[in-house]
Amino acid sequence: MTALYDEQRPVSVEQHYRISHFLNYEYRLLDDERFDDWLALMHDEIHYWMPGIENRRRENLLEHGFYATDHMAFFDDSLRDLGRRVARFKQPSAWAENPATRNVHQLSNVEVYYGENDGEYVVHSTFQSVRSRGLDEEYVIYGRRQDLIVQDGESFKIKKRLILIPNATLTCKNINTFL
Amino acid sequence: MGNMIKTIDVTDSLTNLKDACDLESGRISGKIFYDQAIYEQELEKVFARCWLFVAHESQIPKTGDYITTTMGEDEVIVIRQKSGGIKVFLNACPHRGNKICFSESGSARGFICNYHGWSFNVEGNLVGQHESGVYEDSNFDKSKWGLKEVANVDSWKGLVFATFDPESPSLQEYLGPMTWYLDALFDNQEGGTEFVGGCIRSTYECNWKIAAENFVGDILHAGWTHDSAARAMLGGSVAKVSDFEESYSVNWNGHGYEFALDTVGNVAVLGESALNRYIHTIKPSVAERLGDFRSNMIGSVSSCTIFPNFSFLPGQNTVRIWQPRGPNKMELFTWVVVNKSAPQEVKEKWRKGAMMTFSPTGVFEMDDGENWEYCTKTAKGRVTAQQDLFVGLGMDTLLTDTPLPANVYEGQLNEANSRAFYQYWYDMLNAKSWNEVPNRNVGKAEAE
Repeated sequence: MTALYDEQRPVSVEQHYRISHFLNYEYRLLDDERFDDWLALMHDEIHYWMPGIENRRRENLLEHGFYATDHMAFFDDSLRDLGRRVARFKQPSAWAENPATRNVHQLSNVEVYYGENDGEYVVHSTFQSVRSRGLDEEYVIYGRRQDLIVQDGESFKIKKRLILIPNATLTCKNINTFL
Repeated sequence: MGNMIKTIDVTDSLTNLKDACDLESGRISGKIFYDQAIYEQELEKVFARCWLFVAHESQIPKTGDYITTTMGEDEVIVIRQKSGGIKVFLNACPHRGNKICFSESGSARGFICNYHGWSFNVEGNLVGQHESGVYEDSNFDKSKWGLKEVANVDSWKGLVFATFDPESPSLQEYLGPMTWYLDALFDNQEGGTEFVGGCIRSTYECNWKIAAENFVGDILHAGWTHDSAARAMLGGSVAKVSDFEESYSVNWNGHGYEFALDTVGNVAVLGESALNRYIHTIKPSVAERLGDFRSNMIGSVSSCTIFPNFSFLPGQNTVRIWQPRGPNKMELFTWVVVNKSAPQEVKEKWRKGAMMTFSPTGVFEMDDGENWEYCTKTAKGRVTAQQDLFVGLGMDTLLTDTPLPANVYEGQLNEANSRAFYQYWYDMLNAKSWNEVPNRNVGKAEAE
């Protein structure tokens, strides 16, 4: 993804603010379990991808180093797939979501560049996702993200998201949230 | 054979295990999921003796291709030899014990230890060291200090197993007639199967047996536990298993396979019509190859565990090892298996479908994880740990007049496989040698 876009053209402070604000808003929707509103921020052609990370020697790297397009992934989703995940969260029989998982999503290190086409922006960032369940369960996932954001009227839509965690072994049992 | 592994001396069995595990009355207790002493016995008497799944042949096609994994908590390297065979070594340098291969997979001409530069070739022989002259001065015999090789490696239809115990029965004998059922997934087309690239690893705060038992014979949970996922994927509830006219639970040596004969029930939950079509397309050729009966199993509502910790779901094509990491912790290794001959777009749909359903981000697995962790965690309480837990469904369902191989029980809503799993586990923990493992198999050892 990095190679596809011109990273030499950072956007204006004002545009940087608008896009950062949009992404912070997106994360707040997740923390508030407003899944339909969150889903509405996704572009029809969204590719939401979190590849599995493989611990390999430097001389045996994959297509993208630690990950590859056709290898196993945590998410490799279209809009339909994301919709199905949201549909599960909303079922009264999603037993493991009641009591609810309490989420804090945090975004930082935001860099925004102009994309290849008008109205497209490439955003690099880092995130922390903190989840707590029950009385004492806590799971933290750290990672880096590359988003392709497109202008949509006064707002934006997310067209591509690449999520990279440093871990070759997920330190928890699941990812019952979006990152 | 200086490079063969030195087996461990088996310690005495625990004397009070009977209180925690009485399968004849359909009863276990949570203690077996939380007790450190029991766990130590498992590492020695189950994981250091049984045949354990270590790789799929397709992961290491060429000489020097390797993956690293664990057998119990022992780290091993699984590597393809020039001869075409596969060797399995302890991933530990025979000098100071340092780990010698830190990568999960790759291709190598050998391994060099980071500590003192001991260097090993693909065959595991020690071929050199940093400052090799000082070893020569000490009359060091290089031939005796290669990587330690496990006692036996063998494979069935692409599934590679290894055992640390030179006394263990052959893989064929260990699997017994379960291979007849394994073929429904692993040999239903010419060319067999392959694993999709990569492996997803995750960490559970649960005992490994809870998960293994869930796959050995617990379809009962699916209709309830997975209601939300089924509604999300299919827009309705999962198939009502009690409605199936014909279904079975079969087991042998603690392995178990429960299945209906609906051909496509497991595949259907992936919600990809292309996969349903693929199953229907190959079914006639499967019938020719394996017979009508097993052609109905290829993607049916079913699950399997090969004792102790290798499991899969036909149809969803998720394959996993429940790696023990303490009495109340496990690492889950998840792969996806596909037919080698399947069209690329079909393989791709399975890669994504398995991720979407049965993986750490899978909508089905979300609800399993909670159950498995809290079945384990409640046993932290000393009083709770010794309460009876019921595993008594289907006590009188053994079929004595059936052409099917293995111990065959009527119906898949049945805890016969779970009992057989825990019984074999109990027998292994009580046996100081393989001769002391009672033969509890009552069914046919071979298909008719």
